[in-house]
Formats: sequence, C-alpha cells, structure tokens
Amino acid sequence: MSTRHSKAAEAYQQKPEVVEHHDNTFFGVRQKRDRMAQALPEWEDLRNAANQIKRHTITHLADYLEQFEANAIKNGVHVYWAKDADEYNAIVYDILSSHNVRKVVKSKSMLTEECHLNENLEAKGIDVIETDLGERILQMMKLAPSHIVMPALHVHREDIGDTFRKLIPNYDEIVKGYRAVGGSATDENDPTFLTYVARMHLRQQFMEADAGMTGANFGVASTGDVVVCTNEGNADMSTAIPQLHIVSMGIEKLIPDYAAVAVFQRLLARNGTGQETTVYTSHFRGPRPGGEMHIVLVDNGRSSILGNVEHWQTLKCMRCGACMNTCPVYRRSAGYSYTYFIPGPIGINLGMLRNPREYSDNVSACSLCCSCDNVCPVQVDLSSQVYRWRQQLDALGKADAMKKTMSRGMSMLFNHPKLYTSALRLSPIVNWMPGFVVQSSLNPWAYGHQMMKFPKKSFHELWKELRD
Amino acid sequence: MSTKDEILQKLRSNTREQYEMPDLSQLTPITFDDPVAEFIRKTTTIAGAKLLEMKADDSLDAVVHKAYPDAKIIASNIPGVKAQLNPDTATVEELEKADVGVIEGKIGVAENACVWIPQAMKERAVCFASEQLVIVVHRDAIVNNMHEAYARIAASQEYFQEYKFGTFISGPSKTADIEGALVYGAQAARGATVVLV
Repeated sequence: MSTRHSKAAEAYQQKPEVVEHHDNTFFGVRQKRDRMAQALPEWEDLRNAANQIKRHTITHLADYLEQFEANAIKNGVHVYWAKDADEYNAIVYDILSSHNVRKVVKSKSMLTEECHLNENLEAKGIDVIETDLGERILQMMKLAPSHIVMPALHVHREDIGDTFRKLIPNYDEIVKGYRAVGGSATDENDPTFLTYVARMHLRQQFMEADAGMTGANFGVASTGDVVVCTNEGNADMSTAIPQLHIVSMGIEKLIPDYAAVAVFQRLLARNGTGQETTVYTSHFRGPRPGGEMHIVLVDNGRSSILGNVEHWQTLKCMRCGACMNTCPVYRRSAGYSYTYFIPGPIGINLGMLRNPREYSDNVSACSLCCSCDNVCPVQVDLSSQVYRWRQQLDALGKADAMKKTMSRGMSMLFNHPKLYTSALRLSPIVNWMPGFVVQSSLNPWAYGHQMMKFPKKSFHELWKELRD
Repeated sequence: MSTKDEILQKLRSNTREQYEMPDLSQLTPITFDDPVAEFIRKTTTIAGAKLLEMKADDSLDAVVHKAYPDAKIIASNIPGVKAQLNPDTATVEELEKADVGVIEGKIGVAENACVWIPQAMKERAVCFASEQLVIVVHRDAIVNNMHEAYARIAASQEYFQEYKFGTFISGPSKTADIEGALVYGAQAARGATVVLV
C-alpha cells in the first residue's frame, strides 16, 4: 500500500489526539444526521423521492436546461453557457471587467474551486473576498478547504486568532466596538469573539464590494429560480448590498419544480449538518431594482459523466457532505490526505471522473464498508463505484505491484484444490514463527494490528470430522 | 455551433435510459396535532429566536418597542410601525446601520421554524443587514412542513411580482465554523424575534 492517500494518512496518524478530535467532530455530525433521520417517519421515502427526481432530471437534462434558461431570460436574467473552466473564468471576468468591478464578495461555491476562479480573477487584479466564515479563514491563511460543508473545522482557534490579529487592519477598532456593545473580549481566541471580529471585518467588505457572487444549491426549471442555502446569511449579504449578482451553477444542479425543491430543502441541511433547515433558503428569481443578475451554466465534464455507464449517477450528488462525515477513512485521515479538492467518498469518485491517472491515489481511501451508500440522501452507490474504479487500476497502469503478485498467488491457490489444502494444513506454522518475522514490514497485514492466530484445524477438516 | 448547442447536443447523445418523475403526491410527510405549538417550539429551540404572541388589542409598534427598548434606528415599511428608516426609500448604506428591521412573513413552517418572506420592499438589505430582526407572521399562516409551504407558494400569484426574490428565514444568522462552536450573528441578524399575530 503506497498511494499518496495512504502515505498522507499515515503521516496524519502521528498525532493521535488530532485524529481522535477530527474523528469525533465529524462522527458527531453523522450522529446529528441520524437524529434528524429518526425524527421523520418518511425519511426513506424522501431519499427514494430525491433519488428518483435526480435520476429523472439528469436523464432529461437538456430539456430542463432549455426550460430553465427561457424562464431566467424572461425574468430579466443574463444567461451564459461555459463548456469548461477556461470558458467559465473568461465569462466571469468579462462580466466583472465590463462593470469595472475592483472587489467581489463571494459565498461558498465548490464550482468556483473546481474552476480555480479566485486565482484567475486575482491574477487579473480583481480582489476576491470569500464571505463564508470558514472559507474566509482559509483564504486568509492560504489554506484549501478540508471538507465541502465545514471547510475549516480542522483549524484551531489560536491560529484563527493569530491570523485575524495579523491580517485584519482595523482589528483594534473592532475590539473596542465589541467592548462597547458589552462584550468582554478577555479571551482573544474565544469563538464568539472571533466570529464578531469576522462579522465586522466582512461587513466592511460587503459595503466596499462592487459585485456579489454565489453558487447554487438548486436551479428550478419551472420558474428560473436559483436557490441558495446558508446559515450565516452571507449569500444574502453578498447580493443585497452590491448591485451586480453573478451565479455560478453546475448544469447538474437543476430540479424540475417547487415540489422537488421541498424534497431537497428538507434533505440538504438534515444530511449535511444535522439541522432541520439552514437559516436562510433564498430564492433568486431576477435582478434587484436597478441591479443585474447573471447566471453562468457550467458543464466542465458533466455532460461526459452522463455518458459513463458505471458512474453517471454521481451527477445526482447535491454536495451535502454526509458521505464524508460517515466515512471511517475520511474521519481518520482528514481532507488533506486526499489529492482531489473534494475529499471523502464522493471526492474519490469525482476525482476519478476528472482525471483517473492523476487522482487514482484516492481509490485506496475506502474500506468498502458501504456506510456512505446507506446515508447518501440521493442514493449514489459511492462504495460500489470505488470498487469499480479499483478494477480499472491495472488498465490505468496504477495497480499495486504487491497486490498484483498476491492476487496471482491467490488465484493459483484457489484454482488448485490440492495445493490449497496443503497450504491450509501448513498455515498454523505461522503461529510458531517469531514475532519479528510475522510482524515485519514485509507483511502489510500485520501493520497496525496483531497478526491473527491460525487455528490448528481448518474449517474443511472440522466439517469432515463432524460429517463422518 | 454555440457552446450552448454543443452542451445540449452532448447531453442528448449521452443520455441512454430515461427515468420517470416520481409521483410526489404519494409522499406522506410529517404533520403535527398542533402546528402552531410546534412552530413556537421550533422557533424558540432549534432556530434560536424569541417568540412573542400578540394579543388582539396590542399594536405591533408597541410590541417592537417593548422588545427592543434601546433601539435607536428601526427600519420597516409596515404601516403602523414607527420607523426611522423605510426600506422603500432608504439606501443600503443607511439600512446597514439599522438596529432593528421589522418585516412580514407570509407562511410559517412548523417542522423547522422557517418563515417565508417574499421581498416586499425596494431594498431587501433590511432582512439581512439589521442587527436584530423582527418577523411578523399570522398564526393562520402556519403549515406543517416544507411540502405544504412550497405548494402554497407555487399556487399563489402573489409572490415574485414586483420584486423577484423570496427567502425562508429560520431564526438569526449562525455559524459553527470555528471549532464547531455554535455562535449566533455570523454575517446577518445577530438575533431574531418572531411575532405571532
């Protein structure tokens, strides 16, 4: 085992207390999700409905996209189509530069991460400010997200405090204001205090920005609405203050109508963070009075995924993050162990769909426990897909040499009954071998746990004795 | 061929088996014996808001001023509420300084304390940028779940007419982005009071 994931995960294990904290944090979210599931008698019916709605929409996507576009245009929205990241980045830059935008405030969007929008705009001299608190912390610390919904939960409060003190120019002024409204600010790394500092810092950004950008949790074909769900209200602040609103939307985000929105609104927060709802579920149907709204529909590989017989159902994913929270490998290896920017079960699959040669290191990050399949609100068969990717590793030239040798050995054993029986009879010898041989690095099965004790008699022998 | 046509053509040629839309009327979502009581419970627990029940002879203005006696700048366009700022005429810069915003909700949802707020003012910043938010909603407008709420919105001709925006709000803005600690007042309202009429 020597994938980049397994090496990074091994390095991560060197601080057991960090691993335990990470594991507990995300398993806590998983347990909150379970309480949500148990509180609704219709839970499995909702999952079935969500799966069926997505399957239907994705296999009628061209029609729904045309309907969505027609409605959006009727609502006074400008609609653009981008086939890849380059086209997308160019379209956004054109809109911003033609409106002389110097600073843009942005709510969380995995699509903009996928297309590297921020780096692109910054290289062209546009100031991009992330407004989701977690994303803003990461942006200031120059770190990548470690989770798609709770991107900065791995960062410690002391480091966040240090970053704010160093990088927020009017930090002292904000502290004075906090005391004026009755805050004590005695612990300068207290989350309540730090959230206030970020609030005041971001308020200034909202007021200074010339444009607001959001992603889209859902697009509604029958009305042209873009639905954005947040707890912080940052998508709403980003679009209620600047006059120019740009939406970035992957084409798979469409659903047919409001009856479908109800199903997904109910599932999103319950699965993502274990809440009944996000605080804000906002429907953007058109521009503000005197403002402008632009929607960029992005393909960037999605239409190809639709043609992939084994993996097209990843397009149902609504990016709730439930598969990460439940995944024992994600919880114990954390986001940065993965080489694709989306970690966890869905990230393994999306990475392979993006570029199988580049991202095949992540397919080892799965114990095939299938827990993700059981929680996924749209019933993506995540672990089966990982399994199928593994079958293709050899064809990609990415199969593990040791495993290939062992597979050949096993194939020989299982195809030659006599050889198999003698091997079984001899196996208890391992019990008598000294530990330094059995537990050596030559035996990967002994890593991290004790080697099993082989029984004196095999099942076959016992069975024969019982029968006779 | 335009990018749009290229994408649509690729989608059509890559679609194999097509699946039917499920019959969502077959879903039997959760309902409550007393949806109003459930709405009150959820508002004051999971949503983290206060809830005031207005009596027949109360005035909304008195309720707001009693709930926020120290408020210097109140923003509202609801008739009868004495406000320093009117979101139909005030600028976003002015509204950002408001201590309390008073707005009207049209549907309350018992399962999750969401209140449907169609934009009914020129500057919707009042709904988000005010320090404290007061949402007025009628007790007759409480439904069980989001399916009922969305069915009402879809059937109504009332929404998205003058202003093409509407939002469900459930309590004050919140975050748990710093080490998972729940903090109210991330970017938008730091506190919320739902007034049940």
